Amino acid sequence: MNKISDTVGSRVPHHDAIDKVTGGRGFPVNVNLAGMLHGRLLRSPYAHAEIVSINIEAAQSLPGVRAILTPDDVTQKTYSPIYFMPTEGLACIQDMSLMGRRIRHAGQAVAAVAADTIEIAEQAAQLIDIEYKELPAVFNVDDALADGAPAIHDYTNNNVALNETFETGDPDAGFAEADYVFEHTYETSRINICSLEPHVCVSDVDPAGNVVIHSSMQHLYGLREKLAFVLDLPVSKVKVIKPPYIGGGFGGKLDITPIEPLSAILSKMTGRPVRMVLSRAEEFMTSNKCPIKVELKTGVKADGTITARQATSTLDAGGYATHGSTVIMVHGLFGYCFTYSCENRRWNGRSIHTNNVTSGGFRGYGGPQASFAVEQQVDEMCNELGLDPVEFRIKNSHREGEKHPFFDGNFTTYRFDECLRLGAERIGWADRKPAGSGVGPIKSGIGLGCAVAWTSNCAAQPDLYEHSGAFIKLNPDGSADVCSAAIDIGCGQNTVFCQIVAAELGIPVEQVRMASADTSNVPFDAPMHASRGTNAVGAAVKAAAADTKKQLFKVAATMLDCKPEDLESNDGQVFVTTSPENTVSIATVAARADSPLVTMTSEGPQKDSTPFRGTIIGSSSLSPTTSPIPAAAMYIKVDVNTDTGEVKVVKAVYAHDIGKVINPAGAEGQVEGGLQQAIGYTLMEHTQFDSETGACLTSDFLDYKMATAVEMPSEIDCIFIESDDPDGPFGAKSLSECCLIAPPGAIANAIYNATGARVRDLPITPEKVLRALGKL
Amino acid sequence: MKKNISLNVNGEARDLCIPPNETLLDTLRTEMFLTGSKQGCDTGGCGCCTVLIDGESRYSCMTYTVTVGERNVTTIEGISEGETLDKLQQAFVDTGAVQCGYCTCGMIMSAKQLLSTNPNPSESEIRKGLSGNLCRCTGYHKIVEAVKVAAQSEVK
Repeated sequence: MNKISDTVGSRVPHHDAIDKVTGGRGFPVNVNLAGMLHGRLLRSPYAHAEIVSINIEAAQSLPGVRAILTPDDVTQKTYSPIYFMPTEGLACIQDMSLMGRRIRHAGQAVAAVAADTIEIAEQAAQLIDIEYKELPAVFNVDDALADGAPAIHDYTNNNVALNETFETGDPDAGFAEADYVFEHTYETSRINICSLEPHVCVSDVDPAGNVVIHSSMQHLYGLREKLAFVLDLPVSKVKVIKPPYIGGGFGGKLDITPIEPLSAILSKMTGRPVRMVLSRAEEFMTSNKCPIKVELKTGVKADGTITARQATSTLDAGGYATHGSTVIMVHGLFGYCFTYSCENRRWNGRSIHTNNVTSGGFRGYGGPQASFAVEQQVDEMCNELGLDPVEFRIKNSHREGEKHPFFDGNFTTYRFDECLRLGAERIGWADRKPAGSGVGPIKSGIGLGCAVAWTSNCAAQPDLYEHSGAFIKLNPDGSADVCSAAIDIGCGQNTVFCQIVAAELGIPVEQVRMASADTSNVPFDAPMHASRGTNAVGAAVKAAAADTKKQLFKVAATMLDCKPEDLESNDGQVFVTTSPENTVSIATVAARADSPLVTMTSEGPQKDSTPFRGTIIGSSSLSPTTSPIPAAAMYIKVDVNTDTGEVKVVKAVYAHDIGKVINPAGAEGQVEGGLQQAIGYTLMEHTQFDSETGACLTSDFLDYKMATAVEMPSEIDCIFIESDDPDGPFGAKSLSECCLIAPPGAIANAIYNATGARVRDLPITPEKVLRALGKL
Repeated sequence: MKKNISLNVNGEARDLCIPPNETLLDTLRTEMFLTGSKQGCDTGGCGCCTVLIDGESRYSCMTYTVTVGERNVTTIEGISEGETLDKLQQAFVDTGAVQCGYCTCGMIMSAKQLLSTNPNPSESEIRKGLSGNLCRCTGYHKIVEAVKVAAQSEVK
């Protein structure tokens, strides 16, 4: 029996699934402390303004109000709220303060109230009287860049938060060498993260100023660092409690919002725990995917060889730089430059301030915006030149074994061509009809879109928190507790980590569980982001398990009368490799190590001769040195009603070079869930803002259409190509973000194949389809 | 001003004194500590708060507690017996239909009503039956499969 294949690679049900189907006790939204007060924010109705005066008298006199905070009461020092960037880091723009007197987008927090109930807090917030001086505002990038546009920040006088150019090879020579040069412009829209559990926190500050916080954020240590910075405390005075799991993250819970520091200050003022939770309407103005306009220029030879690639990307960062200034770089480098293999590249990316809401992080972090453009243009070029889009992609892709031209992420394993070929076979690519052919109003089409080479988990990039660590403890019943700061945001990491530990230690997976943790008792871990959980944290828990196994074998060797190196473990037993009948259970070994040194018997105290005593533990603290590169191809089949413009995705075939699959059901879930977000992103979702006031018009799910079970295809076919990555735990690479990077282009290309109509801006609504068909 | 009422939840009557504008979701979560029903939007848009009232699925965030009267409220906490899960709960676990889990309880309650009125639904009936419940993680694929599995185990 091979334990690894029994545990790693099997459809182990999620360890917390029974808890979640019976109520889900572990969500941060459930945290309820004795004496807890409730906080609410007041938000600015103006997009660009200065606060002239604040009157809190009426609010203060409302019974049940315990404390009120306004910009006058809190620090005005600036910071970047992004968790994975240390506040003192070089690359992040520090342009946000906790509650500033200057308003830069509608909905910016201007006051906070703590009261006995949330209703009283809300009522009091509405009684706060603030006089504003309105300033001229801009709500699109062109207006923000125009001569004489109002300056939104002092640190930049032209509203440009970031302007970076990156070039390799000789793009001009590459374009000169090309037989054809294609130029197209694509635009993506603002969509909301829509994690169903809202942002929530409960802060509890003792009289000595020690902060304990429960939160729904995706990064335990990032929250500690940011909170300590904003509150001007040493990190040792901030303890972040790890939730057993949170109700979705998707990158939208990667930055500190006003509620975490404000609830802590309110708790300090009142001496009571303070809970703050965002309403759904507030969520819609909080974590929206950055809209980017991408102008592409690509040179190609008649045989389909790309000779030069150039892109100009313009991102609307909104009122504060935060993610806008990092998403643009990830978009440009990971999402655009280092995908197809062509040494002549030029990319210019700008992140522009407007008075729109601040753009946030969202699964793929700039990748989907790039792939929507690039993958559509590949399709457009192939149509024009009569080339097969599958062969074109294979011709222009990197090859396994190549060194990455820029990053510490070599193509050690890279089976993109297999993704393309297997997917093509499964969708019936060979039978694809010419664009727009077919009779009747409902037309079917097939499209292809790819995550060509996603350099995920940002290994070895400067200014990024990317290391991982773990502790493991063996119990006398043979079970293991795994302690990690990595939070399960819904991807099933709690289960995957248990599977990895079980396989490494040789114990049944039911015997492994994730222990509770907080920032005072576990090693640092990077956020659960960037598709890094299985690969990076998985490697850390595997290393901790290997360390634990060393201690286990030292004790077991004394019991089996052999050397530690002669031992192996499997199915809860330690045995001698050369004589497997010579065995002892892991429980017995752990109990022996844990037991007292001296046993009292009728013959007097008996001293145990086992030389290694005490609980068997192991630990790890790793910094990633490599970043294995996944790749994916998504084939989409759509039906388009050419009378109404409605698009229905009817089938998806997704092929992904994932390395080793640790949990197939969990991996499929990432693909299926990514498709839900992709269908929304491509066809229906759009957070709406008033173009004249910047006010968020989307306040609930009745205003915001995302795919329900009805809009999803019943056929979702997952093909996992298991290349064996030498650096990943048991060969595992990564998956999650690619599931949102590959589909948007595929859906757009399928619409073109069905109808012959090309829509280059998101979302592709029925109206846009009809307009592209010339029917509107 | 508060109002004295008796509320039947999961087979037990509870005497409560609550404000007349309190939603059933708030009563369940804050007065009775039944936190399986989740708050996702407060406007009847996400379905995380779905409960059964006399067997009919209802958004508890859109229902005032005082309007429930004598009717029986069933929450996720009321559908399993001891350690034995309801067939839907078991099917959600077995098929991998649970990811972040925030939608799960509401989803199961909607599926419960669906199967009580249509024990052997087609796939499209399942999808329609769940269309009042949003999920951001799973793409609904394994949720639909779970309801199929539960329906089949009922039929057997």
